Amino acid sequence: MVMVLNKRLMRILKENKLRYLGILVLIILGSYTFIVAAGLSQNLAMLVTTFTEDYVQEDLSFSTDKPISDVSKLENTFDALIEEYMSFDAELSDKLTLRLLSETKKVNIPAIIEGRALSGPGEILLDPAFAEANGYPIGSQIKAEGKTFTVVGFVSLPHYIYPLKNVNDIIYSPKEFGVGVINREEFSDIVNSANVYSVKFNDRTRSLNRQAVELREHLRAKGLTISNWIDIMNNKRARIVWASITGMKTMSVPVPAAMFLLSSLIIGIMFWRIIRRESVIIGTLYAQGYRRRELMRHYMAIPLVLAFAGGMIGSLLALPSIEPMVMAMISYYNVPVPGIELSFLNVMIGILTPMIFLGLSSYMVIRSELKKSPAELMKGDKQKAKVNALERAFKLERFKFSTKFWLREQFRSISRLVFLLLGVTSASVLMLFGFTVLNSMNHVFKTSDVYLFEYEYTFRDLQYGEAPDGAETFNAGKFYPENNEEIEFYITGIEPDSTLVILKDNKGNVIPNNQTNITKSLANRLGIKAGDTVTFINKEDGNHYTFHIDAVADSYMEQFIYVPIDEFNKKMGLPEDSYIGLFSTKKLDIPDEKLSGTKSMSELPEAMDEFMGQMISMVALMTIVSSIVALIILYLVTSLAIEENRNAISLFKVFGYRRREIRSLILNSSTFVVVAGFLIGIPVAVASMGSLYGYLGDMINLVLPPIVSPLYVIISFAAIMLTYQLSKWMCAKNIDTVSMSEALKAGTE
Amino acid sequence: MFIDVSDLRKTYTSGMIKNEVLKGISMKLGKGEIGVILGPSGSGKSTLMNIIGGVDRGDSGKVIVDGIEVSKLNDDQLTEYRRDAIGFVFQFYNLVPNLTVRENIEVVSNISKSPLNIDEVLAEVQMHDKKHRFPRELSGGEQQRVSIARAIVKNPKLLLCDEPTGALDFQTSRSILKLLQQVNRNFGTTILIITHNTAISAMANRVFKLRSGEIVDEWVNQAPIPAEGIEW
Repeated sequence: MVMVLNKRLMRILKENKLRYLGILVLIILGSYTFIVAAGLSQNLAMLVTTFTEDYVQEDLSFSTDKPISDVSKLENTFDALIEEYMSFDAELSDKLTLRLLSETKKVNIPAIIEGRALSGPGEILLDPAFAEANGYPIGSQIKAEGKTFTVVGFVSLPHYIYPLKNVNDIIYSPKEFGVGVINREEFSDIVNSANVYSVKFNDRTRSLNRQAVELREHLRAKGLTISNWIDIMNNKRARIVWASITGMKTMSVPVPAAMFLLSSLIIGIMFWRIIRRESVIIGTLYAQGYRRRELMRHYMAIPLVLAFAGGMIGSLLALPSIEPMVMAMISYYNVPVPGIELSFLNVMIGILTPMIFLGLSSYMVIRSELKKSPAELMKGDKQKAKVNALERAFKLERFKFSTKFWLREQFRSISRLVFLLLGVTSASVLMLFGFTVLNSMNHVFKTSDVYLFEYEYTFRDLQYGEAPDGAETFNAGKFYPENNEEIEFYITGIEPDSTLVILKDNKGNVIPNNQTNITKSLANRLGIKAGDTVTFINKEDGNHYTFHIDAVADSYMEQFIYVPIDEFNKKMGLPEDSYIGLFSTKKLDIPDEKLSGTKSMSELPEAMDEFMGQMISMVALMTIVSSIVALIILYLVTSLAIEENRNAISLFKVFGYRRREIRSLILNSSTFVVVAGFLIGIPVAVASMGSLYGYLGDMINLVLPPIVSPLYVIISFAAIMLTYQLSKWMCAKNIDTVSMSEALKAGTE
Repeated sequence: MFIDVSDLRKTYTSGMIKNEVLKGISMKLGKGEIGVILGPSGSGKSTLMNIIGGVDRGDSGKVIVDGIEVSKLNDDQLTEYRRDAIGFVFQFYNLVPNLTVRENIEVVSNISKSPLNIDEVLAEVQMHDKKHRFPRELSGGEQQRVSIARAIVKNPKLLLCDEPTGALDFQTSRSILKLLQQVNRNFGTTILIITHNTAISAMANRVFKLRSGEIVDEWVNQAPIPAEGIEW
């Protein structure tokens, strides 16, 4: 019996094929996003974790003024692996720097990902992105610091997963910077190389921070002056990869959940309608001896088949895309890839979740109808229609007829209204999310009006006296707040009348440099506002220092507190005219052996352009996906509204309404909901952005402003409205095909 | 004559099967009169009414309403014709379920050139106190009253009623017929009622009896009786 009944299923699907196709696409998108995002984050996390564990990623690194005399004794005392390596920045050209690192055996062990290990002098292992960007294949030769090296392989380094030149940079450009590993002996004739100690604590049960503090205090007590102390948690080279992993992990739940929720809502609405429309048939079948479970099975078949098909297609499309996507991300990060794992569990979740979502919503709707008696069902749906609370609550007398009709149309079905509102809000959030990230990045990198110098030179030792012409002195120390050593930042003493560091407040007014100013990104992270008096601990001497914050500068690029250099020196107990670095508008002739680092600001724009290019592609993709989602939702709602209004449309035609008048009444009824959904999307996008950014701040020491630019809001709004117009255009034909005879025959069948 | 139908023919084709629904109908109805078309199911009375109302077309023949040759109008002109001249009352009321009583009447007044005052029309059909209710909250008779109010609000030249009492009990039917008579009297509206209930013919000025697409009988009622006097 049921088999015969099931012949209807294909017919039902065919009757409304576009509508079911829309739901199928939502499910496919949900499953696809889940499996890809979860697969990406799990694989990346696994690759990074395995790599950092197997190749012993450091917990911290530091330099000292004098070599540590007995490293193995120190290792025993602190139950740690400690290894010294050499580092030297070789300028291959004006714009290209290769950081030469000595090969290590215990900590930050180089992982050969292609080629072979070093076997003798004159050989080098290169970071593959650098090698590719600058044309150094295996077997080629590279000249650095007067020496010629043969590239024997490519290497991944646990402390250079994201090979940033400076630890506080955000963007890496392999066309400008890379790392290479050479034999330690090669450093014997390289002057001015830096010695860095890497530490990995063996005891993972005790607080690593505590162990780090003890080690630092011990070294200080031994009379060593420590510099460049970097905990791994504050090392963007090692941590920034976790932003991608977290981003993917964050996306792997809400986006698919929203898709599945929307699909189950709409399928619930559609089935409620089908069941009500067919209540007479159901009642008749009941009366003729059909069992409830037979009918339940019959009606449940469509949502379950749809969910299963969507889940399967989504999974089948997602599985082959995981590997190329992981590889694409890995090309950005330098991590060895022993293999990619495809999770069977994820596939099961990707298929079963939509089945559960859609199955449950349909089951509840169908059950509520099927539990009625055959007699009640055979009466049809006319008697059952009730006026809902929303319809009753609003007094609409003062509006003109079309407005009243539109409002009534929306209030008529609360579930349809919720679906439309949720759908448009989700699509808008997705769209605004992309644009806001783009805008935040833009804002962060808009540094040209803050830092007006071209070069930043940092000396190994304190310098004294006046700055050369075109340059300004600065002094700096690394600090962390009391009770939270994980947040570290620089307090920099700059010249009170500096013309090279121009800080501005959020209104664009210049803030004087003869006071204590904090950048907005750091202020946000520390929860500090202008007027606060705060105490920080100097990472080098461990002493407490108190500062009164005068103003917050609207700058996100870096996390700094700026104080006048004289005040800084006085507070730190440093000589009055001392400084550790120079900001300069032109290249200065300073002997390399005096410098510990040089930073060229001109490197930033190129790397930024490259990064922003990728961002724009990502945002474009997000805009397209969210437009598709919006189009499906709007099409589904509009076509449902047309179906619900077939009789009214037919009636309007009988009464002599013109085609455009009918189109306007039926198709424009969703306009204010679409606009409302979009407006709700703005604060939701900002809030979700804020929480993601907050998380990023904690994870990788990167603070971004959740700024929604009016321009992008307008662009997003235009995109949503364009999609809405498209959905209306797609549905207009359906209105035209409604015949007048429907109203004339209504109730007679 | 206000309605002048001559030799109207209509055939519906479904696949190989041809069904001749109207076989050369000719009929006339004067301005301000009530006409009743009587006939069993399938006699073609609804098709005839639809063609007169401009929602369907005949295959041949002439339909003239108030001087307009309806059979010659194109689709857009038919829309304007229905919009300006015709009021419809249906057997199952056809109210828009999510609009209140008043709003249902606005559906038509909204597109009329010179509509009557909605509140006055509501008072006329005795539904003024229920104007904020939704159709679901009304009885069948009340819904039909609203349907009549909706039809007359545009002050149509011709009111076409398709089995207006077909879904109602005797008492309610009588009150609806009384209302139609009252509309005819108060607004001078020409009314054409199609029904299978022969008793209703007593209130008409002219009666046309249809069977299998042909008028088999027609007569002029010299003394139409008030609706209250109708019995069945």
